[in-house]
Amino acid sequence: MAHAIILAAQVYGGVGGLVAAWFLLWRIERVDPMARGAYAFRPLLIPGLVLLWPLVLWRGLARPAEGREFRAAHARIWVGLSIVLPLLVLGSLALRQNGPIEAPPVRLSAP
Amino acid sequence: MSIRYVPVGWSRTKLVYDAVLAAAVVAYLLIYMRLGPALQPAIIPPDGGALGMRAFGSCAFLLLSFVLCIGPLARLDRRFLPLLYNRRHFGVITCAVAAGHAWHVLGWYFAFSATPPFEGMLGADTSFGQLRGFPFIPFGIGALAIMLALAVTSHDFWLAFLTPPVWKRLHMAIYAAYGLAVLHLAMGALQSSTNPLLAMVVAASVAGVCGLHLLARSVAAAPPPGDWIDAGPASAIADGRGITLPLGGGMAAAVFRDGERLSAISAHCAHQNGPLGEGRVIDGCITCPWHGFQYRLTDGCAPAPFTERLATYNLRLSDGRVWLDRRANPPGTPVAPLELP
Repeated sequence: MAHAIILAAQVYGGVGGLVAAWFLLWRIERVDPMARGAYAFRPLLIPGLVLLWPLVLWRGLARPAEGREFRAAHARIWVGLSIVLPLLVLGSLALRQNGPIEAPPVRLSAP
Repeated sequence: MSIRYVPVGWSRTKLVYDAVLAAAVVAYLLIYMRLGPALQPAIIPPDGGALGMRAFGSCAFLLLSFVLCIGPLARLDRRFLPLLYNRRHFGVITCAVAAGHAWHVLGWYFAFSATPPFEGMLGADTSFGQLRGFPFIPFGIGALAIMLALAVTSHDFWLAFLTPPVWKRLHMAIYAAYGLAVLHLAMGALQSSTNPLLAMVVAASVAGVCGLHLLARSVAAAPPPGDWIDAGPASAIADGRGITLPLGGGMAAAVFRDGERLSAISAHCAHQNGPLGEGRVIDGCITCPWHGFQYRLTDGCAPAPFTERLATYNLRLSDGRVWLDRRANPPGTPVAPLELP
């Protein structure tokens, strides 16, 4: 299972590398005018392109209305987290067994 | 605006900010390595590898907690705004420290084995059927993966490429990363630690982060009903500065004072949604605190040769108080400034 996950990540990253090369060499200046003539920053984009290559290919996303902000969403999320996170911490403390966990060293006798 | 991307948009202020932060991180790690054994009374004293792992891990958690506090702190008190403007650098440094923790874990627990370290880490503990002793490593991997995704998309290019709404949604995943980090600690170090200090630090972090967000939420002004909104007394707006008025639906307007004249435009910069209301009037133009994009007070247009335009708003004065019409004018509509008596 762990081997399969690593292999899938390697394949995903390999495809991402190809997408990154294509995007940085041929596509970026069409997508963003501020990238024209700017080369030093491009290597910084490689990890993001490798990681998010499906999103990069899915470039036809409709631009939402300008000026949306998400403070309302932030506030709602934190109301939920303010309930869940303290419960998690308290729950974990309730689960905790009395220490000490580390056993004292024992001198082994020779065989 | 005809500017080109640069690898890192450092200004003198940001360089100082980053230098102080980096120095604080290094100091924390060194102090922890020095004092760590005394703080963690264990029968078997932790060695250098274990200490490094704990130093990086605890530092990453504290940094993550603090970076999440910056937003509500800045909303509660404007003096914290400089921390907000460089929050992305803070996040990248936090991610680097968390990666350092993972690096130590790989080098300490999963090295010198026939199994590759990453495979070993993923397959080391699969006892998912029990609550006590539930595998905590996957929570840490999840938190680090999210932080990595956010760090590698922190450049301005990503903000423009993904569009501000999508980029902001993506970066709200930091909340999930924090939840996973708390779980990672709660099911891991908190279970095995016999020292109450760690439990106190985690509890204080959760209480602080959640409390600040709830406090900021409670003091945030909800927009009142009606077309005209009370923006408060004109005297409350400092010369050359602005205030931000929420209009509902996620929109906001910024009212600026330039001498004895008041003007109002959209509070969202056309460049990357920067908070214009926190900017200043420079050379007669509202200047975005994020990247310095400028807009004229009278019509919301960027000065030539630039072409960005923002919506403007009508103002009126009544009994010394400023009122703003929430119905926006089309972008670039000239509006005569409100002259103060």
